[in-house]
Amino acid sequence: MLTRERVRPPVVTPGMAWAERALAEVDSALMSNSTPDTPPAATPDPRDLFEEQAIPFLDQLYGAALRMTRNPADAQDLVQETFVKAYAAFGQFEQGTNLKAWLYRILTNTFINTYRKKQRDPYKGTISDMEDWQLGEAESATAMSSRSAEAEAIDHLPDSAVKDALQSIPEDFRLAVYFADVEGFSYQEIADIMKTPVGTVMSRLHRGRRLLRGLLTDYAADRGIRVASKTGSTKK
Amino acid sequence: MTDCGCDKAKAELEEYLHNELCSTDAEDIREHLAGCVDCESELHVGRVLTEAVQRACRETAPGDLRDQVLLKIRTIQATH
Repeated sequence: MLTRERVRPPVVTPGMAWAERALAEVDSALMSNSTPDTPPAATPDPRDLFEEQAIPFLDQLYGAALRMTRNPADAQDLVQETFVKAYAAFGQFEQGTNLKAWLYRILTNTFINTYRKKQRDPYKGTISDMEDWQLGEAESATAMSSRSAEAEAIDHLPDSAVKDALQSIPEDFRLAVYFADVEGFSYQEIADIMKTPVGTVMSRLHRGRRLLRGLLTDYAADRGIRVASKTGSTKK
Repeated sequence: MTDCGCDKAKAELEEYLHNELCSTDAEDIREHLAGCVDCESELHVGRVLTEAVQRACRETAPGDLRDQVLLKIRTIQATH
């Protein structure tokens, strides 16, 4: 019945050990049980679709890789490695399911397995050790006299300030914020990508955004970015 | 302000912002926000924060990265 076993030869070229690794790393949950009844000759190699379907995500994946690695050279390497792995595993991608989430999952796995190890992150893996008072401090330092002034100040910050703030918060918070706010992934999708329960995603997102808001508001206050006309009026 | 649902609204504001609430809960929050300037302004800060992050994180990959990725994939393709 299963006529399509081993249509493609196993990858054995020495320089292609990555392919086997990639296949092993991609979660089995992502793999489909492709059991087509058509003979092999009539079945197009799904990888022919790869360029057309996956390459359009290159800019987005690069943006995410930049937030992960925090430098362009590593980000480019990470994106290349991600695409090569994704290509190798593309036969297991189930057409019609969420390709973007699938690619982000490979990106995140690759980052965690290779790049994170060489990064010097002061908060590395210690998020649960961060006390709420440490996080709360960033928030309570808010010097804005009203929320509308705060919103307006954040709205006028240069992109570089927002990026710097994002870079400075712990990695797991940063990624949760990035996945939710920039990529628009649902909490469940983020949970799948980060391999963590949804509750953890929520907590990372809350805390990450709280930290970010505190940092940005402080930044704005330091530079005197305020909306003078509105600082006096607290609408309650 | 008396107990007017602010606690519930503030607790769920982030989930509301990320469209993670079921429609009944979202409707409760929406109703509350319509009559509560305090919570509404909190939501506004949240939205502005999201937009600021989105704006700052828009990136375009360097042109040669695209070329390199395509080259790698086509090289692998050709060896099969």
